[in-house]
Amino acid sequence: MTAIEPITGRYLTVTVEGAPRRIYFEEAGAGRPVLCLHTAGADTRQWRHLMNDAEVTASHRMIAFDMPWHGKSLPPEGFETQEYLLTTDAYIETILAVIDGLGLERPVLAGCSMGGRIALQLAALHPERFSGFIAIEASDFQPAWYDIDWFHRPDAHGGEMGAALVSANISPHAPDEERWNTLWMFMQSGPGVFRGDLSFYTRDDSLIARLGQIDCTRTPVHILVGAYDLTCTPEDAERTARAIPGATLTVMDELGHFPMSEHPQGFRPFFLDALARMRQPAEAA
Amino acid sequence: MRDTLETMRGRLAETPHLMRLGRLFTETVQLRVDDAEYYLDFEKGALVAITEGPSRKTPYRFALVTDGEALARFWEPLPAPGFHDIFGLVKLGRARIEGDILTLVKNLRFFKEFMALARREAVQ
Repeated sequence: MTAIEPITGRYLTVTVEGAPRRIYFEEAGAGRPVLCLHTAGADTRQWRHLMNDAEVTASHRMIAFDMPWHGKSLPPEGFETQEYLLTTDAYIETILAVIDGLGLERPVLAGCSMGGRIALQLAALHPERFSGFIAIEASDFQPAWYDIDWFHRPDAHGGEMGAALVSANISPHAPDEERWNTLWMFMQSGPGVFRGDLSFYTRDDSLIARLGQIDCTRTPVHILVGAYDLTCTPEDAERTARAIPGATLTVMDELGHFPMSEHPQGFRPFFLDALARMRQPAEAA
Repeated sequence: MRDTLETMRGRLAETPHLMRLGRLFTETVQLRVDDAEYYLDFEKGALVAITEGPSRKTPYRFALVTDGEALARFWEPLPAPGFHDIFGLVKLGRARIEGDILTLVKNLRFFKEFMALARREAVQ
C-alpha cells in the first residue's frame, strides 16, 4: 500500500523565556485555524487522524505543534543540566509565541489533558487571542495519585513505566492498533519529560480561581470527557464545567483520556460537534 | 479462584511477549480476594508456584487486595469504566496495592497483562 498524507510538517523558531525554541509543527486543510495541543508525554502524532480527515480539513486549517522537549521540537540549549518542569507561564508563552509566529488570527484552541488545562487557562487569561476553546479531558485540577518521580529515574525506563500507567486511561473500546500507537508516544518520550509535564498538571492549581472569569459569550468553551478516563474523570470535568458560566460538556461513553489518538473513529463525531459549537468571531457577542 | 489462577499461569507460559517482558521479574506477589490469600511466585516471568494462604511467614514484594466481584467485572470482555484496569479498581475503592509499589510500577505492563489473562476466557 502506498499513500501520501496531506499533513505537512515544518519548523518554526520562536523565543520563549528569553531563549530560542525550535518548534516542529504540522498542518493540514484550509479555512478557520484550529490549533491543537497534545497531552503530557506525547506529541503531534495524537492529532494525525483528525488532520487526515477530509471533512474536518475542508473548512479548517488544522495545526498541531510539538512542545519544546517533545516529539521533534528540541529542548533548549543547555538542557543537559536543566530539570524540565513545565509551568503555566512558560506553557502560555509558548502557545502565544507559536500563534504569533504562524500569524494565526484568533484560532480555535483544541487541547487534550494538560492541553485542555492550558486551554482553560488561556480562556481565562487571553480570550481575545482565540475564538473558542475545545477542552478535551480537561479539568480544574487533580493532584497526582502516583509519584511523578517514578517516571524519571536511572534504574528504569520512564517511558515504558509511563505508558504502562497511562494505559489505565485508555478505553477497552479503543482498537488495539491505536491503543498501542498511543502508548508508543509515551514510550518514546525523552527522559524526565513526562515527569516535567506532570509537574504542571498535578501541582499547579491556579486555574480553579480563574474559571469564573471565563466569558463564554465571547469565546465558547466546550468540554469533552471520556467515561474511561481515570485521570480526568467525568466528575472532574462536570465540576469544572459547572464553574464556567455558559460552558458546555459532553461525556463520551466509550472513550478514554486520549480520544483523538486512542479511538479516532469514536471521537470524530464529538470533535465535529465541538467545532460546530465554536462560533465564528463575527458571530460572537 | 484457584482454577482461574492456574489458567492464567498456563496462558502466561504460552504468551512469548509476556515471558520476554517479565524476564527480570522474580518476585512473590500476594493476591488477596475477599478472605482468600494467594502467593504467586514468579521466576523470570514464569509463574512457578501458586500457594494458598493464609500465611504470616511468607514474604512478598507487593500485594493486590481486592474482592471477587470486582475481579469478575475486571475480567469481563468489555469492562465498565473503572473496572477496566487494576488502578481503576483502586480508584473505585475496590482494590488497593500494598507493599513495594515501585517494583509493581517497574513491571507494570507485565503485571497488568498477566492479571488480564483471565479476560480472554470470557471472550471465548
